[in-house]
Amino acid sequence: MKRILVLLLTAGLVLSGCGKSDTGSSATSTPVAASGKKLTIGLLPKAKGNPYFVSVKNGAQKAADELGDTLIFDGPTNDDAAKQNETVENWINSGVDVIAVAAEDENSLSTPLRKAQAKGIKVVSFDADVLPDARTFFVNQATPQGIGYALMDKAAELCGKEGEFAIITAKLTAANQNEWKKYIDEDLKKNYPKMILVDFRPGDDDKALSQTVATELMSAHPNLKLIMAISSIAVPAAAEAVKQAGKVGKVNVIGLGLPNENKQYVHDGVTNCVILWNTGDLGYLTVQAADALVKGTLKPGDKSFKVGTTTYEISGDNILLGQPYTFEKSNIDKFDF
Amino acid sequence: MSSTSKSHGWKSLLLSHEFILFAVVVAEWIFFYFIATSKNYTGHTVGFGTMDAQFDILRHTCEIGLLALVMTPIILTGGIDLSVGSVLGVSAIIFGKLWHDEHFSIPAAICGALIIGASAGGLNAFLITWLRLPPLIVTLGTYSLFRGLAEAITHGSITYTGFPDSFNYLGQERWLGMPAQLPIFVIVAIGVWLLVHRMTFGRSFRAIGYAPEGARYAGLPVERRLAMVYVLAGVVAALAGIIYTARLGEAKADSGTGYELFAITAVVLGGTSIFGGVGSVHGTLLGVAAVAILKNGISLAHGSTEMADMLTGVLLILALSASIVPKILSKRPARVQTVPSTPQPTPTT
Repeated sequence: MKRILVLLLTAGLVLSGCGKSDTGSSATSTPVAASGKKLTIGLLPKAKGNPYFVSVKNGAQKAADELGDTLIFDGPTNDDAAKQNETVENWINSGVDVIAVAAEDENSLSTPLRKAQAKGIKVVSFDADVLPDARTFFVNQATPQGIGYALMDKAAELCGKEGEFAIITAKLTAANQNEWKKYIDEDLKKNYPKMILVDFRPGDDDKALSQTVATELMSAHPNLKLIMAISSIAVPAAAEAVKQAGKVGKVNVIGLGLPNENKQYVHDGVTNCVILWNTGDLGYLTVQAADALVKGTLKPGDKSFKVGTTTYEISGDNILLGQPYTFEKSNIDKFDF
Repeated sequence: MSSTSKSHGWKSLLLSHEFILFAVVVAEWIFFYFIATSKNYTGHTVGFGTMDAQFDILRHTCEIGLLALVMTPIILTGGIDLSVGSVLGVSAIIFGKLWHDEHFSIPAAICGALIIGASAGGLNAFLITWLRLPPLIVTLGTYSLFRGLAEAITHGSITYTGFPDSFNYLGQERWLGMPAQLPIFVIVAIGVWLLVHRMTFGRSFRAIGYAPEGARYAGLPVERRLAMVYVLAGVVAALAGIIYTARLGEAKADSGTGYELFAITAVVLGGTSIFGGVGSVHGTLLGVAAVAILKNGISLAHGSTEMADMLTGVLLILALSASIVPKILSKRPARVQTVPSTPQPTPTT
């Protein structure tokens, strides 16, 4: 008798446990209805908690809302290539219409993406590309040329197109930095004959070293007007050096970096601006491109892609986000990454 | 427990942890079958209810499943191995390095990785049995040691990739219609099940878990048995590392990070006591299934990863409570009977 009672109680407990999880989950995830043009878009970041990707998501959500699409933003909580693959594979099985990815690892993520394409799911990449055969388009946030020219133009503007400036890079062998430097040199030679690049020094992506280098540059070149830091770690380091040397206002700092770690220096007037791309726009364009690719308004071979009143250039299979974005005192607080 | 209630065999079966967990797994499966399966606008069935989705769940779970299988005898002995995820990582890196840099053939590189796994398990076993250090502390140390080794070999940046398709087949393709790694998993599962449930070894693991000193006085070779389970864990973790590498097509230093906790979750969910002595391999398999179906089902229903993690925790607590409650209920009346001499018998029952 007792045992039967126990049995019933246990059964009740198990059932009520299941019942609870039933109602809890079905409220949040209703089955996708077989509707016509409402697309389901899977957006895969490298790490979903990273503020950089959260700001990408905000732009992506805006585009999805405008288009009436369902956006699924999911992926690893830290940079985890295996979790990225699993997310894509689950999306294939659950039948999303299009997948947009920022790859932690181009090789390993390409495998499930090819599988997705074989099942008729469209794929675009953004921020960090996969292998070209695993996606149709790459939404390219910035070209080396765009970055190089934006940095040099800004430097010349702040110096009144004449005077001495110096560059702190990452490592002398860093591929990205050297690519940007190439276009900085090109812009300098072509457009700013009175600007003099007095030194090009590595900071090894190390905060302390970059700061030392900046201090040395200021003492070696008393007429230095501007330090351009083209490694994100070197930008706040250079600003700190200028601040400690008491040269705020005499030596300007600009660079390629993230808004958050430079906010204080920008507000204090040490750093004039940091240059990067607008991550919200990147998310917005990615979702617009993903949607258009499924609906057929964007096809391989197109030379441009029109969204509303903006036309984006397409170079090969890269959709270009356009000019880099300048984060300065007036707008830097709107960004959190 | 089973001896006292032999006449009520079916009831003890129904109340057993494994049966409750089995019911939970079936309930989960049915639940996700209904909420995460749908037809897309071309009329094809998509989602949880498709064969592809079921096979992908198996593929995603294979490595964690292997770790959980070999974690079971360890926890049965009252031990724990926190280093299995790191062993997975370092074996994957050694495999990649042997093939890529040292130009070993794939089978030779696999052997190399398995030897590394065995050595890693051997180091754990040495520290635990010869130096008599607590397994928790030893494997907490080797957890960092092996992961650090993997990162040192690659300088944290190199990933080995470009493996031949014939190797990636193991992790990515179908063999006779099923995921290619499934047969390996089944073989290991049968092997561990036989070890724990059909050989005298299994009884000695439980004896050690109940009372290591007692087992020693009873003449059991406690050190040898302990060394055996930790070395086995190292070898199978290396095997999981190879399958993981094949699934991703690349070997990375952070492979398998956090997998040890998933494995322990599955083992404990499967009814193995964390204090040792009690547990079963089929319980572990059910535990793995319960976690895997939940995680993948939520993902297929477009729920978020965080929700899957939270519900895994809820499931663990619910399942453990569900198996404790009957014991508490059956004890309560017994306790009332043992104190009949109380001056004021409670009028309410």
